[in-house]
Amino acid sequence: MTAIERHNVRVRGAGDAPMMFAHGFGCDQHMWRFVAPAFEDDFRTVLFDFVGAGGSSLEAYDPERYSRLSGYADDVIDIIEALGLTGVVFVGHSVSAMIGVLAALKKPALFSRLVLVGPSPRYIDDEGYVGGFTVDQIEELLAFLGENPMAWSQAMAPTIMGNPDRPELGQELTDSFCRMDPEIAKGFARVTFTADNRDDLARISHPTLILQCSDDIIAPLAVGDFLRDQIAGSRLVVLKATGHCPNLSAPEEVVEAIRDFV
Amino acid sequence: MSDAPTDAPTPLDRDELEALFEDAPCGYVVLTPDGRITRANRTLAGWLGTGPDALSGQRLRDLLTLPGRIFYETNFAPALDLQGALEEVALDLAAGPSQKLPVLISARALRDEQDRHTGTRMILVRAAERRNYERDLQGREAEAIQRLNDEKSTAVLREQFIAVLGHDLRNPLASIVGATRMLRREAASDKTLRVLEMMETSVHRMADLIDDVMDFARGRLGSGIAIQRRVAPLEPVLRQVAAELEIAHPGRVIACDLAVEDAISFDEGRIAQLVSNLLGNAIAHGDPRSPIRLTAATADGRLTVSVGNAGDPIPPEAMDRLFQPFFRGEVRDSRHGLGLGLHIASEIARAHGGELTVQSDPDETRFTLAMPCR
Repeated sequence: MTAIERHNVRVRGAGDAPMMFAHGFGCDQHMWRFVAPAFEDDFRTVLFDFVGAGGSSLEAYDPERYSRLSGYADDVIDIIEALGLTGVVFVGHSVSAMIGVLAALKKPALFSRLVLVGPSPRYIDDEGYVGGFTVDQIEELLAFLGENPMAWSQAMAPTIMGNPDRPELGQELTDSFCRMDPEIAKGFARVTFTADNRDDLARISHPTLILQCSDDIIAPLAVGDFLRDQIAGSRLVVLKATGHCPNLSAPEEVVEAIRDFV
Repeated sequence: MSDAPTDAPTPLDRDELEALFEDAPCGYVVLTPDGRITRANRTLAGWLGTGPDALSGQRLRDLLTLPGRIFYETNFAPALDLQGALEEVALDLAAGPSQKLPVLISARALRDEQDRHTGTRMILVRAAERRNYERDLQGREAEAIQRLNDEKSTAVLREQFIAVLGHDLRNPLASIVGATRMLRREAASDKTLRVLEMMETSVHRMADLIDDVMDFARGRLGSGIAIQRRVAPLEPVLRQVAAELEIAHPGRVIACDLAVEDAISFDEGRIAQLVSNLLGNAIAHGDPRSPIRLTAATADGRLTVSVGNAGDPIPPEAMDRLFQPFFRGEVRDSRHGLGLGLHIASEIARAHGGELTVQSDPDETRFTLAMPCR
């Protein structure tokens, strides 16, 4: 199976320069549905699902490969190489921001710029570093995800009848949003929330934009400052948007910030 | 009042609506698009030990336990945004420093004419009992899986133990055989000879039992029954087995009807073992006044060998389990072994790409081996 099929890759847009959008933990490529279309006139947009999410191939899940974020970074590289692209503008949300960083360090020539939306190089506090969570809190989260399939199954299974007022979504709803295999999601959560990529940041040489939300419990403002200080020449923009998903709650603001940068 | 029409319900007045919202048997919340509470009812406030006004302006997320908050941000909020509605999401409210209040949350996004997300309505239903039940079920499932896995590994160990034990029992048995031979040469009396003969018979029986157990253990341990096929004349093998059994059971007759015209590729030792087992069963269970019929024939590239005997039919309830290991039917005589014979015979048939079947009625009980000639 090719990387294109494995990751349900969708390529759109009229431009030549490639722009790739990567979703984070908890959703799939639909996460970008209000952002990516804004770049279709000028870019060739690439959307995809990580294994376990959305329309990806669940059989491709390999616990060994995906036991570290670098396995996910290899997916990004596989997709870019399968499409024969170079100089990609990589836009990664949440954990995918760090996945993009790892991919760019492995194969720098494939990337031109990095846009990190709500990134965090480490979620757990450390000496002299505020990640936002203690070890115990992250363990509590992983236990919660493990023992609470009802939280999963219902959030994953869309209420198709629940949207009579939005008929234009009808077609897409049948494929459902934010679908994620609960078992794979558990593994992804562990890899995401126990990762520590702080030492990788100083090695980034690509122009980098950091978009941080106001009042995001997943990636607090201190983390945004840390990233700006560690990545030479990076630009930090604090959005007015709150929460962890500005790509859904404030897509215009996200689009504008990315446009300024590219 | 009794004359009033009853088909149309009276519209609720303001007070009734107010009470329905505030004191409903579930929590009601209205949120801004970014998740701040604009209105919460008294029921929810009561669960949290506070007043409805104190909840206004708070983020819904902040009412949850920490894992719930993260789940809310990474999964709940985006799914609600994209789908417009969510149902029965299981989360925990943080009712105190260490007190969890399990709830099920259903939510619906409100949108204006331009399809902008203008707010969210949400209900919360307490689900402590249900959650306990689910946790209990999960615990029991995990326990059952654990027990099954333990059981499986114990079974493998047990079978390995049987294989090793069987192997090691052969050595002392070989010593006994050697010793009886030596004694036979120096036998002083007829009585000594008779005792030695009995000892040899017992040793052979014991060796056969060990062979059965080891075949069984090997089959169970995944390697199956190993066979070495070779093209050879089959009829002499069948006649030899029949003759051995007739000698061992004076007075019993085995009528052979053999017509093997094609060359057969088979494992001599194993096929002899299979036929010997079937003939032995027929002698043990068949009517001693009637001969046992051993037939063999080939047709269309397939060989069939069958052993038939007269006597009481096999009870229908026993037919299904006949080829399972350790099946002993109605046999009470301890000399009839472990109940592995038919199981091993059918495994031998399978190893030859064929199968062993049985038909039994008041006229005849017949076991048939059918397999490809090569």
